[in-house]
This record gives sequence, structure tokens and C-alpha cells, in this order.
Amino acid sequence: MTESNVVGRWTSAPGADEIVTGRARYCPDIYFPDMLTGKLLYSPHARARIKKLDVSRARKMSGVFAVITHADIPGENSYLYANPDQPLLAVDEVRYQGDAVAAVAAKDGSTADAALQAIEVEYEVLPGIFDPLEAMQIDAEQVLKGEDNVIMQQTYQTGDVEAALASADVIVENSYRTQWAEHAFLETESAVGRIDGDGLITVYSSCQAPHRDRMQIARALAVPESMVRVITPYIGGAFGGKDEAHVQMHAALLAHATKRPVNLIRGRKESILTHVKRHPVIVDCVTAATSDGQLLAVKARVIADAGPYTNATHEVVNKLGEFIGGPYTVQNLEVQKIAVRTNNPITGAFRGFGAPQAAFVYESQMDDLARKIGMDPLEIRLRNGVETGTRMYTGVVVREGTAMKASLEKAAEIINWKKRERCERQPDRHLRRGFGMATILKGCGLGRDLGDHASVILEMHRDGSVILRSAAADMGQGIVTVLAQLAAERLGVEMSAIRVIRADTSLSPDAGASCASRQTMVSGNAVLKAADSIRDTLLTLAAGKTKIAKERLSLVGGKLHVDGEAHGLSVRDLAERASAWGYPLHAESLSHFDYPVDVPDVTYRYSQEVFQFCTQIAQVLVDCETGQVTVERLIAVHDVGNMINPGGVYGQIEGGCAQGIGYALTEELIVKNGHTQNTSLENYVIPLALDIPEMEIEVLQIPEPFGAPLGAKGVAEAPIIPTAPAIRNAILDAIDKPLYELPMTAERILNA
Amino acid sequence: MQTPEYAAPATLNDALLLKKERGADASVIAGGTDLILRMRDNVLSPALLIDLRAIPLANISLTDNAMHVGAYVTLAQLLANDDIAENFPALPAACREFAGPPIRNRGTLGGNIVNASPAADLVPPLLAYDASIVLASSGGDREMPLAEFFTGPGQTIMQPDEILTEIRLPLMPPRTAASFIKLGQRRSMAISIVNLTIRLTLDASSAVSEARIVLGAVAPTPIRAYAAERLLTGSEVSDELIEQVARNAEKEATPISDTRASEAYRKNMIAVLVRRALLATRAELQKNASSD
Amino acid sequence: MRPVTEINIQLTVNGETERVAADTTQTLLHVLREDLGLTGTKDGCASGDCGACVVLLDGQAVNSCMVLAPQADGSQVTTIEGLAGNGDLHPLQRAFSETWAFQCGFCTPGMLVSCHALLESNTNPSREEILTAIAGNFCRCTGYQGVVKAVMQAAAELRAASSTPGTGHD
Repeated sequence: MTESNVVGRWTSAPGADEIVTGRARYCPDIYFPDMLTGKLLYSPHARARIKKLDVSRARKMSGVFAVITHADIPGENSYLYANPDQPLLAVDEVRYQGDAVAAVAAKDGSTADAALQAIEVEYEVLPGIFDPLEAMQIDAEQVLKGEDNVIMQQTYQTGDVEAALASADVIVENSYRTQWAEHAFLETESAVGRIDGDGLITVYSSCQAPHRDRMQIARALAVPESMVRVITPYIGGAFGGKDEAHVQMHAALLAHATKRPVNLIRGRKESILTHVKRHPVIVDCVTAATSDGQLLAVKARVIADAGPYTNATHEVVNKLGEFIGGPYTVQNLEVQKIAVRTNNPITGAFRGFGAPQAAFVYESQMDDLARKIGMDPLEIRLRNGVETGTRMYTGVVVREGTAMKASLEKAAEIINWKKRERCERQPDRHLRRGFGMATILKGCGLGRDLGDHASVILEMHRDGSVILRSAAADMGQGIVTVLAQLAAERLGVEMSAIRVIRADTSLSPDAGASCASRQTMVSGNAVLKAADSIRDTLLTLAAGKTKIAKERLSLVGGKLHVDGEAHGLSVRDLAERASAWGYPLHAESLSHFDYPVDVPDVTYRYSQEVFQFCTQIAQVLVDCETGQVTVERLIAVHDVGNMINPGGVYGQIEGGCAQGIGYALTEELIVKNGHTQNTSLENYVIPLALDIPEMEIEVLQIPEPFGAPLGAKGVAEAPIIPTAPAIRNAILDAIDKPLYELPMTAERILNA
Repeated sequence: MQTPEYAAPATLNDALLLKKERGADASVIAGGTDLILRMRDNVLSPALLIDLRAIPLANISLTDNAMHVGAYVTLAQLLANDDIAENFPALPAACREFAGPPIRNRGTLGGNIVNASPAADLVPPLLAYDASIVLASSGGDREMPLAEFFTGPGQTIMQPDEILTEIRLPLMPPRTAASFIKLGQRRSMAISIVNLTIRLTLDASSAVSEARIVLGAVAPTPIRAYAAERLLTGSEVSDELIEQVARNAEKEATPISDTRASEAYRKNMIAVLVRRALLATRAELQKNASSD
Repeated sequence: MRPVTEINIQLTVNGETERVAADTTQTLLHVLREDLGLTGTKDGCASGDCGACVVLLDGQAVNSCMVLAPQADGSQVTTIEGLAGNGDLHPLQRAFSETWAFQCGFCTPGMLVSCHALLESNTNPSREEILTAIAGNFCRCTGYQGVVKAVMQAAAELRAASSTPGTGHD
């Protein structure tokens, strides 16, 4: 990348001072003098009919200002991500142990608790449907009356899979199972609703999609969207778990009912019980190859447990199927995608969005295949890896494929893969050391044919200071920093000159959700476009004043440069001039995530086409007597295009790897008959500081040529994807036991 | 639920009088790291909380033949005490793997005992060192072996008017070593799947004169594997004996299945951990012997 | 001394004397956030499992959600708001910003207090010692690498400052 002033340099986040001093306000920190405390009453049963719901006693309690049920909802009683099948407040049935039945607003938490206790609900407990395989059967009882339990049944086929299977020398066939995983963001779901004097409904929301929240709040309250304002203060983590709405509409409804501000903060146990989880899947996969390791075909059947409601299931399972063949040149592929309703916990978006489950399958298959053929795991991956110009099994043409093999080779170099046998393999009687790798791809953007766009507003004031208004929600991934850096770079000012107004639907135009590793690209491009417009005005004025041709002029570090040398004029001078002369330094721009049109037919629906490639290699120590696994080293090589914000990039990679280690070894929700058994941060086991190795990270900066601001692409999701299969393959290397179920707990390892 | 009353008496006598007056309705609170959780989960609803914070109960002193540890001593204070580290190393070893620093700064030795969790990490080391405890009441004090204290999960023989005030650890004979092992799902903030402490004391001829094998989280209370201990007493610690003892130790355990582990896994781990702890203890004894 | 339901506690918070009427249903965390408006300290779990609520209580890092308000009577409390002195950021705070030792920032107040407690007793901690000191602080965003870097950086700065005469540091 050419010399840059701001982009690519370590810079603190614009809100850093607020965070490290404790001044940063998250939803639970927002206070109004007359604010009430809101709480929700949840179903204790996984499936039951509501025979009676009587809130009259609760309503009469002193200090209780509202108790609402479905009957009190002015508008639509449903969440709406894709399908309005999940009620905000249950009507006649509860379908998972997290369906909300009533909402209360009281003067404080203990009064709200007392009000919840005073609500009389009579349930007729019904036998629940907990096994997706059973729920799929024709004669199975319906989880949702009048609705098929199978909410998705699609098959994607390309090439000739049967012929390939018939001609194959080697076939590897396995059945994989993955678990419900919990996001465990530090700040639980929270929102504050208030009604302003003119009736504007303002909701402070800990969310990833402020404009989609606005739409859902408006439709629940039966008001126009113009009468709803969604503001995201600081957000304490999300990882996909706050993409779908949670308590925002309930907070708005309670504020509407009481005409007072109401906050609604879920407790940790509540949160674990009620919000969406990562889809658990059963995947039967057949991988066929020649005897020298050329992949011939992949055939897979995916069955996802959707819980009772649709949420993001279609999108997640579609994404899983999209990547089930891995970053490989295999041309014959068939994937059957099935999603089924059950009375288990609801499922939805979680970092990776189907790709972690897919990677566990395809990267485990690759190692099993390598073993069967007698080939080195690195060699078989290099043999089949995509390159620039590869047309994938989805029909997508890889535009920047060199990063896949580059990431493999670099990771192998760092750990000294070829010499790994020389490492002490059995340091003690019962300890075995192993090495395993996984290489993956994940796309950026929502996908082809889905409206994927973002707008931004940029204003420079007469003193050269800048306001950037973007509704891209920053939940820690650093988009606010990235956008500020891009604006500063392109406008030629210092970072300190940029003030970013965090997402506020009354101030910032729609930028879509912070998901799918898209914001750096789509909002980033919008920022560059807006900045270009302002920059052009400034340079035109500068050319006029200096009588120097515009082509020789540039803006760097707050100063005008002529032929690369600083000139006397500053950006501030130019901004003053613009203001005095009536040239507005104001731009709003819209950027679309464009998909190339000059390619042959892309057959996979909603495909992503800008890829994050990544290879991780794990070195593990397995205690053969206890089954415990220590991850001694984790190498991660990531293709990020160009780095705009190094701190954010390394942070995302490290954090994603840490989450991947938990997903691999210890994290799982234990659900029995629809009831989650482990509902605390003590017994949902997440690795802590002493459990995470010092990670060795290498970032490949191969500029993404397509639709990437300054060559940068998203890095948010890739890090969590290869970790579990890398560890699985390392365990296989250590103790010769292949594992097909996540998480790979000590017990499962011993029993394998 | 009624809001519990609160009292922070300045003297032990005041506390004992209050405890006698209110009996089982009153709960003594020290660090609170277990008690507050149980109250929050509605497992416990005391009408009165008697806070020991103002009473001097956090003294650690060494006399000629015993260590006296006040019940209010926190795990952090135990970790910082050189006399404990030198004489009873399995106890700080257990503290180091206990939860995390913020909990260790509040949780007390007495609290871990009185909470009587089957998985209590500090109890097996205390039992391995033949600890006794002092239960005070306004009617007088009684000292008893800690081994007689526990009757079931969360259950002890403590009377409603009693307060645990002191733990006594008899100084160990020379040629003593102990090992603590905890099996957990992560290296901090984990409740034990299995924990154990083994203490061996050798006589002049290098035969075992005292053996303590104390297992935690595998029975309704922490237990001693008496039969396994008897195999050791009077013998030299050979490899064959270690194997035999390890296999025997699990026979006295009655673990359950829960979200952390299955019954079968816990049973299997007993032999594994007993063997490791015996090997480590023997190695420690050999090391001490060669440096004498 | 009779048992009472409500007690007027007095505590020193970040150097200021505060008087609050509290009972046993309230925790120190509640007092700090609700009564004193010090919302820097966070509630992540209410069960002592995450460390988001860590403050210094009489110099020791504790989970304030596991301290009942009456138990803090007469104590000195330092919260994240009290870490910076006289408007200047503490070296730890600056280091956290510079090394991206946080992302969403929700665990950061508790994390900073735990790190501060470490540096008060150990001016040259090893990587293992730092990890041990933060083993009760759950961070879901970062993987802890940046925190280690930040503590090392701040420790070095503090050591240099204390060995240089007349720097104005306490």
C-alpha cells in the first residue's frame, strides 16, 4: 500500500478514553430520573399450552406501573428477522424455555420481581419435540400449529457427484455433531425505552442492526418508523447474538404503556436461557478422492436444529452449505440442507454463521482422507487449494485466491511443519503432543442478490473538524475506529479531527447490520466516497487560491501538499475558505456491496464472493489418562486484504481464536428435554486467561482488488472458524483418535 | 422473601449470644462467596446475617506443636503465609487453584469448611493433615477432628448456636510430604470434577507410618480412602504398591453424574490421580531425604 | 449492637466520603452504580464468575457483586473512576488504549482494577503472573494477549518513573 498517514497505523479507538476511565455508557448505565425497571416473565416449560394468564393481581401492586401481555401489543406481536413466527409475548402456547409471557415495569428491580411472582399463569405441559431427526418425520407433532416442522429442505448440486463417487479410489464417510454454543457477551441483552414530549419513541439498544430494530419497534407499536429512534450507546459485545432483536420491543412497549423511561436488562441466567444460540447440526458427509489426493466429490446432508422459531436459520444453514466443500477446487458437490423446528433453545446468528460447523466437517474429512491415503495433511490441502481464477463449486470465481495457499504455507513455516516429528512427542508417560491444521474460507458481505448497502454522512466544519455519522454498530470489533481512520486518511486530517457519532437512526442513515464481516467494506467504501467529495471541494479551492494545478495537490496530516511537499495552507484554512465562500463541506454517500457481473453463472444462491482465507495450526498436549487437552501453541495466518486498524485486526484474530478454543474443547449447552442444565458462566465453561496460549499471528496483506476500501476486507469471522478442526486434527495426530463431535471434552476423548 | 437483618458484632461473645438467640434463622457470613450465591438462588433465606468482619478471627499462629488458623483467614492470606507454606504445602497448593484472585481475596478457610460442598477444595488438604476445628458457642467451645464434621452435601454436625472459629493443624512429623491435585474443566474459576490430597509420613526405615488419601467431589462429603490407606501403612512405597493403592482407592467413592462429568469418568479418574499424587509425594520425600 | 434491616453505611470511594442507607439485599456493586452513580463498574453475571464488577476493597481486588453493602461499611473502595489521578490517565489506562487491550470495553473496568492491584504488589510481573492475576476476569472479545502487553508496558513505565527522581509521581 502507498504511504499512509493514518490507515494501517496503530491508533487508539476514538472511544478509548471513555472506556478506560469507566465513562463509556452502555445501556445498563443509562439513567433517567423517572426511569422504571422492566422485567420479563418467561416460560418455565419447553412446551406447554397457556390455559390461564391473569395479570390483575400484579397490576394492582403498589410500585407497579404496567403489566402487559400479548393483548396489550398495539401492533404486530412478533420479532421479524426473516419470518414473523416468534411472538414478543406468548399467546396460547409456549414453545421453548425462554418464550416471554408477560412484561412488567415497576419502580425498582425487587418490585418488578414481586410483580412477576404475582402473575398467575396456568400451563398444561405438553410433550415436547427435542430430537430433530424425530421432528423431521412425516407424522411428527407440529411444533408450531399449522406449520411444517421442516422449515428448510433444499438441495444444491453441481457437477456429477454420483459418477465421481463411483470412480473414486478413496472414500471417507463420517457423521458429525456440533453443539449449541452461547455467545456469552459480557453485557447481556439490554435496552432503555422512552417516549419524548412529541411522542417520539427512543430506544437505546444494545444491538447490531439499529435500523432493523427501528422497523421491528415501529411495527410492534403500530407507529410509523419516523416516530421511532434507535440509538446504540457503547455495546458490550455481541458476536452475532444481538443481530436478532431481544428486549428492544418490550422496552418500547413498556415505555409506551407507562409514558416513562423503562430499562430492561436481562440477568445472565435469563440471557443464557432465552437468547439465540449457535445452531447445533448433524452432518453426514462423504468425501471422495483419487489415490493421490485429488478431491473428486463432496456429498453432505446437513440437519440443523432450529429451535421453535425461524430467526436466521435459513441464512445460517445456507451459508453452511455454501462452504461445505472448503477452500478447495472440488467440482462435484451435493449438499442437502435441512432445518427443523424443535422445542429446544432458539438458534440464530453467531460469528461464523454456519461456517464453523462446516469447517469442522470439511477439515476433519481432509485429515481423515490424508491418513487413509498416507498423505501429509499440508500436501493434500495444497494439492486441492483454490487459486486466483478458480471457479468454485458454488460457481463463484475466486478473485484473490493466492491467499489460501499463502496462508497454509506461512502457517506451516511458522510452526516448522516439516520438522514437527522432531518435536518431543511424548514428554511423559501419559502425555502426547500433536500438530493439526485447518484452512478455511469465509465470505464478506450479505451475499449476492441481497440488498447489501450502507450510507454515511460526513461533514467538515469551518475549523477543519469533522463529524462522521454512521449507523454501523460498533460492538467492540472496531468499525468506528476504521471509519474514522478512512475518513482521516482521505480528508488528509489527523484522527483527532474526526468525531464519530455512534449509531443513531435519527442522525445516521441506514448502514445495515454489523454482521457478515461487511462493515469495513461497505461502510468503509461509503466513507471514502463521501470523503472524496469533500476532498475534491477542498482541493478545487486550493487550486484556485494557489493557482497550482489540482493534480499536484494533496491533503496530508492537516496540511496542503504540493508535489508531496507541505505547503503553507492547512486544511483548516481551506475549510474556512469553503465556509466563507459558501461551498458546503458535506456529503452523504451510499455504497453498495457490488458483485461482479462479468462471471459465468453463479449457481449458489446468496453466495459471498470476497473471501477471508485463514489457516490455523494447533500444537496440543493430550493427557491420555484424563483426556484433557492443553493448546500449547496456536498459529493463525490471516488474509485481511490491507490492515486499516492493526489493533482491531490483531484483536479480532486473538479473540476469535479464543472463542474457537472454547468451541473446540469445553463450550456446550447441555439441554435435556428442552431444559438447559448449565445456565451460568461457571458451568458453561469458557476458557479464561490461563487456558489460552500465547497466539502467534501473522497477517497477510494482499490487497483485495474488489470492492475493498484501500484493499481491506472484513476479518471478524474467519478467526473462530478453523480453530476447532485444527485442534481436532492435532488430537488425531497426538493419539490416533479421530473425533466427530464437538466439543471435544476430556470424557469424549477418553471414550473415543 | 424478607430482607435479612444484619449485625456485625464487635466481639465473638456478642456473635455467639446472637447466634444462640436466633439459632437456625441466623446465618454467619464471612467472605460471603458461597452464602450470597445460595441466598440469590433462594436456597437459603436467613432472617439474620451475622457478619464476623469486626471480630479478630484471622490470626495465624504457630506454637510448638500446631498451627492455629483463625476461621476468617482468607485464601489470599493463607497463600501469603510462610509458615503454612513450609509446614502444610498442600493447603496453599489447593488455594492456588481455587477460583480466581477476587474470590480468593474474600473467601475464607472457615467458609469453605462450613459450606460443606462435597467438592470443597480446601477440605481434603485439611483432612490429610489431620486438622481439627473449634466450634464455639455461648455455652462453651468444643474441639473436634474435622473428619467428624461432615454428614452430607452441605450438611455438618454444627449446632444452630455454634460458630466455627479456628482450625488447628498438628505439626507433621519429619519425613512428611503431601500432594494436591485438582481436575477441573479449566485452570481457574472451576469447580472440581475430582480433587484429592495425599499425605505420606515415613518412619526411620522408610516405611509408611501415616497415609492419608482424601478424595473430594466423588462422594456426598470429602472422604478418606481408608482401605487404600491401610495398604500403604507399614510398607515401602513401591511402584507395585502404588498401582494397587490407586486401583483400590476408587472403591470407596460414590460419585455422581452432573453437567461437569459422568459418574464413570469420576471413578476412572480417581485411580489416575491417586497414582500421580502418590508418585509426586514419593518423589518429594526422596528429594527431601537427599537434601537432609 | 442489635440487628437492623437498614443500616447507614459510610465508605470512602475514590477518596470521597459517602453515606448511603443500605440493606442486605443490596450489594456494593449496587451502591456504587445506583446510589453513587459510578456506572464504570459493570454487572456481568451477579454470581462472581466474570469479574466485570471488580473493585478494590481496602486495597484488594474483589467482586463487588459478592459483597453485601453493609459489609463495606467503613471501607475504602477504589473503582475504575478512581484509577486516574488528577485528570491524567494512569499508565495502565494509557497502555490499554495503545495496545488494544479491549474491544467492547465492558470487562475493562474490572480488568484494569485487577491489573492495578497486581502492579501495586508486583512491579515486574511475568506473563504467567499477569495471567494469574486476571484469571478471574472474563473477556470474550480479546483473548487476553493485549492485556498482557498493556500490563508489561505500564509496569515498565512505572518502574522507570519510580527510579527517576523528581518525576512528580506518588
